[in-house]
Amino acid sequence: MLRWKYSRPLLGLLLLIMAVGPMLSFGILREPGIQQTLAVAFLYGALALTYDLLFGFTGLLSFGHALFFAAGAYITAILIDSYRWPWYFAIPTAVIVSAVLAVLVGSASLRTKGITFAMVTLAFGEAGHVVISRNFGSLTNGENGLPINAERVPGIFIGVVNTKYLFWLALAVLIFVYAAIWWVTQSPAGRVFSALRDNEVRASVLGLNATRFKLLAFVIAGTLASVIGAAMLLVSGNAAPRYADANTTIALLLMVILGGAGTRWGAAVGGILYSIASTRLQDLNQGKALASLPKIISGPLSEPAFILGLLFIFIVMFAPGGLSGAYYRLRMRYLQRDKSTSGSL
Amino acid sequence: MDTFILITITGIGLGALFFLVASGLSLIYGLMGVLNFAHGTFLVVGAFSGLWISTKVFATANTWTFLGAMVFGGIAGGIFALIVERLVITRLYERHIEQALVTVGVALVAGATLSGWFGNDPRLLPTPHWFINTVTVGKAFVPVDRFLYIGASIVLYIVLASILRFTRIGLIIRAGVENRAMVGALGINVRLAFSAVFFMGGFAAGLGGVLVGAYQNGVTPLMSGSWLIYGFIVVVVGGMGSLGGSALAALLIGVVDQFTNYYMPGLGDFVIVFLLAAVLLTRPQGLLGKVGR
Repeated sequence: MLRWKYSRPLLGLLLLIMAVGPMLSFGILREPGIQQTLAVAFLYGALALTYDLLFGFTGLLSFGHALFFAAGAYITAILIDSYRWPWYFAIPTAVIVSAVLAVLVGSASLRTKGITFAMVTLAFGEAGHVVISRNFGSLTNGENGLPINAERVPGIFIGVVNTKYLFWLALAVLIFVYAAIWWVTQSPAGRVFSALRDNEVRASVLGLNATRFKLLAFVIAGTLASVIGAAMLLVSGNAAPRYADANTTIALLLMVILGGAGTRWGAAVGGILYSIASTRLQDLNQGKALASLPKIISGPLSEPAFILGLLFIFIVMFAPGGLSGAYYRLRMRYLQRDKSTSGSL
Repeated sequence: MDTFILITITGIGLGALFFLVASGLSLIYGLMGVLNFAHGTFLVVGAFSGLWISTKVFATANTWTFLGAMVFGGIAGGIFALIVERLVITRLYERHIEQALVTVGVALVAGATLSGWFGNDPRLLPTPHWFINTVTVGKAFVPVDRFLYIGASIVLYIVLASILRFTRIGLIIRAGVENRAMVGALGINVRLAFSAVFFMGGFAAGLGGVLVGAYQNGVTPLMSGSWLIYGFIVVVVGGMGSLGGSALAALLIGVVDQFTNYYMPGLGDFVIVFLLAAVLLTRPQGLLGKVGR
């Protein structure tokens, strides 16, 4: 077994710290700023997990995944703001509509494979972005985004003192998505997904309908992404057009590659780290740390995409498997050394 | 009628710009199987090089300096494409998903570098004074710059098609698109053809960048994204690896976009994606693409 025997107890301890941290009278977890940053990071970790189901487990390189994330956020916001629905009807409706959207987009895109599939999903995602940013039907408020009406959201999610509830909400969403992805990838269908990734022809010869299983993975990932979108609406307070941007999907790809595709925890860790890193790098930009450097160096360095992009190129070219891959390689080496010294092979 | 003529010619002009972006993407994909996300960056590199030479070297704007800027932008885009191909893409030989991923990284890094150096505000590209003129076609007053875009694309199409048709490297490229493994097995250096295709694609995109800068009244690093996506759509609709398919699809999409935006403002992009879905559902290989690719 490559799993370290203490990894699960440690994870439990970490979750316990996260759960009780905001209630304590000391520690950084009681600061609303930290809570907010971590809440956003948890949601991106969860979103990266859904992308890992597509890319890491099923081998579908989709560039339109952000569409469903944005759909969850925007449909919820529109139903609450414009149609005055209560949130507990709005969110399930948004998730169902997004699932239907995923079925439609998925069945059209899955007529193509591989790189063509990437291009087609990119085009669909961009269509969604256009619809949102052009203020189609005067529902989305265009480039400014759609702030959620604070009066129609449960009071515990409003205000700086209540940030800890948003933090717990995001943590709960992350745990829920993790459990859902774990359940899906361990299920018989999940094994078919991996079989399709590894050798589609062989899986088809066994009598499995490749397109139908890929569509299933696409719809599960899209539906979960819309749940995360609705949570992001509450955490950030508005639905922004950049949620539907191709750059959001590219960021998801970066998170999954950074953490390591197809390992679940790698994607979650990659998403959380990426989200925190891009917030921190932006702060660095505003700070004075780079002011002493000439503009030809400080200019690119002040863009988070520069450092993250370089890291991404490095991982793709020299360290495939990302963080989790590196961890498993180290673990393998350690276990082998253990065996050779004790001589109990 | 005059509106019809105006929109048609404007649409063809826009299609000409789409073609400049899509032709390289299509050839690169057709020969190497690389989905090149860095192609939008080639466009921006060309646009900024054209801007640099027009403002810093020529300092005046007439027909010849603009043509010079176009060629210079094209060469800069081509050289940048060659560097990208040599430095990162050839190292991931035959690993198509990784190649696509690494071009995403290149696009991020190059985009961030350009944003860091020049900022994201559009910079005005000097154009000859006749750019604002119109000519009368039938009864329509058509902006004259549209004809420049169309002319440049036609010349580029003829040059690219001639290279593919009549030269040895073109022969290797065409054979490579059909069956790369066989070409390699015959002892022919396919790598050289890869570099040639990247240079040609980068040249077309760089030249297109200068023209897009004139068309949009400004050069900014942000233009890589939207034009790249149009390029992808054109390539998918036209058929991967087919130069003629790209030209046809670019024309179709340019004209459809302009007509939709005239009669239903703001819906042009939406209708294009609808068109893409329709083509995929009826002809997944694209208009002129080969089956089974």
